[in-house]
Amino acid sequence: MRLSISLRSLPRPLRIVLARLTILVPQMFGVLLATFLLIRLLPGDPALLMLGNMATPEQILSLRERLGLNGSIWSQFTSYLSTVVHGDLGTSMFTSNPVVVDLLDRVPATLELITYTMILTITVSVTLAVVAVTKPKGVIARFSKVYGLAAGAVPDFWVGLLLIYFLFNVAGIAPAPFGRLDPTLSAPPVVTGFLTIDTLLAGDTAAFASAVGRLCLPVITLVIVNAGALMKMTQMVFADNYRSEFVRHARASGLCEWQLVRIALRNSLPPIITMAGFLFGFLLGAAVLVETIFAWGGLGQYAVSAVMNSDYPALQGFVLVAAAFILIVYTVVDVLYGIADPRIQV
Amino acid sequence: MTKVNQPLLEVRNLSVGFSDGAHSLALQHVGFSLKKGEILGIVGETGAGKSLLARAIIDMLPGDGRIVEGEILVNGHAISKMTAEQRRGYRGGEVALIGTNAKSLLDPVVNVGEQIARILRAHRGINNKDAWREAIRLFEQVGIVDPHRRAHAYPHELSGGMAQRVVIAMALIAQPKILLADDATLGLDATIQLQVLDLLVEKCRELGLAVVLITHDLGIVASYCDRVGIMKSGRLLELETIRSFLNDGPKHPYSQELLDAARVRPLPMGYDQAQNGSQAPPLLEVIDLVKTFHVEGSSEPVRAVDHVSLTIRKGETLALVGESGSGKTTTGQCIVRLLQSDSGSIRFDGTETLSLPDRQFRDVRRRMQMVFQEPYVALNPRWRVRDLVAEPLKLGERLTRAEKQTRVMELLDLVGIASVKADAYPHELTAGEQKRVGVARALAIRPDFVIFDEPTTALDIRVRAQIIDLVRDLQKRMGLSALFITHDLNSVRSLAHYVAVMRHGKIIEQGPTEEIFANPKQAYTRKLLDAELPIEARAEASTPILQTEQQL
Repeated sequence: MRLSISLRSLPRPLRIVLARLTILVPQMFGVLLATFLLIRLLPGDPALLMLGNMATPEQILSLRERLGLNGSIWSQFTSYLSTVVHGDLGTSMFTSNPVVVDLLDRVPATLELITYTMILTITVSVTLAVVAVTKPKGVIARFSKVYGLAAGAVPDFWVGLLLIYFLFNVAGIAPAPFGRLDPTLSAPPVVTGFLTIDTLLAGDTAAFASAVGRLCLPVITLVIVNAGALMKMTQMVFADNYRSEFVRHARASGLCEWQLVRIALRNSLPPIITMAGFLFGFLLGAAVLVETIFAWGGLGQYAVSAVMNSDYPALQGFVLVAAAFILIVYTVVDVLYGIADPRIQV
Repeated sequence: MTKVNQPLLEVRNLSVGFSDGAHSLALQHVGFSLKKGEILGIVGETGAGKSLLARAIIDMLPGDGRIVEGEILVNGHAISKMTAEQRRGYRGGEVALIGTNAKSLLDPVVNVGEQIARILRAHRGINNKDAWREAIRLFEQVGIVDPHRRAHAYPHELSGGMAQRVVIAMALIAQPKILLADDATLGLDATIQLQVLDLLVEKCRELGLAVVLITHDLGIVASYCDRVGIMKSGRLLELETIRSFLNDGPKHPYSQELLDAARVRPLPMGYDQAQNGSQAPPLLEVIDLVKTFHVEGSSEPVRAVDHVSLTIRKGETLALVGESGSGKTTTGQCIVRLLQSDSGSIRFDGTETLSLPDRQFRDVRRRMQMVFQEPYVALNPRWRVRDLVAEPLKLGERLTRAEKQTRVMELLDLVGIASVKADAYPHELTAGEQKRVGVARALAIRPDFVIFDEPTTALDIRVRAQIIDLVRDLQKRMGLSALFITHDLNSVRSLAHYVAVMRHGKIIEQGPTEEIFANPKQAYTRKLLDAELPIEARAEASTPILQTEQQL
């Protein structure tokens, strides 16, 4: 009782964060359990599966020992937990690197790609939606209608290939679609893993320009393909709010146009946040075709090759990272949602 | 009449049309003027163009509506000649609008103090702190208790009356000279309505504002306005001082019709008294009914119905009155067992219904029907009127197709719906017709007892009168007993033999209608009755002739 009273006295945003973070712990535990069971659910001996058909009995035995497969399922899980907590996700059978090393290499590449994609997607789709609603007879409104129809129907790899063909092959203004950085330049020391930030931290402007240039085409590809859905939804929600009684009343009270747009947009935030969060999580795996086309060396590519090669430790690592990422994104979504809408009880 | 001071607002021969149908104008040649400190009531039914007039004055015509003819002058300046920026300053700065349903007029995600402060900032270049100080000062003036704390509340945390006060503060903050109140108190409880209107009118008189009070309640006009304008299909039929409108009678037959419709009907005769003069055994007897709800976050259950006892005899109507949240509707729903009661006893025609198993209760339910509050919500939107009325017939004995058909037509005829409407869908009907379909559904299997849940709220004057007449007529013809749940005291006086006043789940006073109205014992009943705004109040005070007329 006393605890709940002291919680009540905290400012609302802090309460939302605290409430959401407390759920995060059991959720994370659930994710670990799921990834652990994932490998146990596969038929046959996990050690054999992990090592492949060429494994010798001794290898299998030693792996079984190392994985703790001889103990009870509970002790196996606790030993799995302790290895994960110590940062050991096993060794990839395909790259023969520790999975953690592989992931540390690839996760930032994908994160950088999809973070910039998200920023641009939200900016583009919200701007288009707002302009299309406020100026229903303008050029933008007509463009958004056509784009909204087309966006869902265009596959991302096709857009990517077209962009490469026209901007790199024909016009020659885009950099080559091979990786995140010009091979002649040396990568900056890793701080955040985001090349655009690390190059700036290192003060290497040439590398920064190259990193930004290489980001352009894949980001544009993903934005073109994914902004349509967000735009359509924003347009719908925003139009409802823009024509609502409270905006009309605000107009009757003499507020000016940009304030009305702000009021309507502020009220449209909750669904936009939810949709953007969903899209962010979705892109983590869905960017794989674009990553492949641009030889990005990202997480999606890694996951696909892990599946193709029955690389179970790598797959397990990917699932864990993806699940954790989505959990974090959804936590942020929930927190922002609660802050954006004061009617939500916390 | 010589005018020393120029009229504050002048509407000259105003016609408004929409570009899709140039042949029919939404407003036709409306003209009036308003002086400083004057309160003009505009009365009309739905679709009369009242709200459109308000929106034309504030220069916010909906869609592609435009002024076809005429002019609106404020302080001698024509709105049509203003620049866009001047118009923005004019809205809110010169003329302010107060709309219906205050809660929907407030931005749901911004606290109310900020909403008021930002209007002030938009009109005057002052800083945030001063704007807030001004907002809180005004909150205090419109009777908001604890204004500092309230200013930080979000609209969903306010009650309807409180939200309406905030909207009034919003309208007054930039010190406009003209106030347009468009059905500002619709849907509020009578006592709250009275408070809000008192406040509004008092503030306007104090600040010398000119007010256009748009309403469909002649009682409001009679109590607060200096002049009254009657509107019908886009025309201003007549414009009179309220005194001559009520005392000398309206000049236009339509106005007379409205006035008659708004008047209280003579008290209905008791069915039994009329028939044989003896007291019949009670048809419905409710004793010590209790219904509690558990509210999340509180261990204490809420007693929505708290030891309610009431009795209704055959052919009698009991009106259950009280403010929203007093438990009236819950009581009704407990009686027809839409809600499970916690304890108590409900005896219907001698049978204890609370303990009946569901199967046997169905027989009772055939004789006991309910007409729901929201007619549109209670009707399946994808069914035709014909099917909606036929549906409850399944409860009764088996009928052939043809029998069913004739029965449906009989019922529609009974409630006064034209047979051509039988194939219409609910959204194609007017609010009054939807209520009638609800009544027809309830009457379909010839029940002995009907619960009417707010049958007359939010209806136009004439439609309301029609519904009242319909229920009176049905009662006379079918000997129906009824429980009449309402907060519309005018209709109670026209319909009910007995009144029970409910507050916080308890019945605090009950008795014959005349007695309660003439001599209320509880302070709360008195307060409730005082909140009614009868048309007669003014007329009675000035003309004894009219009074005798009413008693006839």
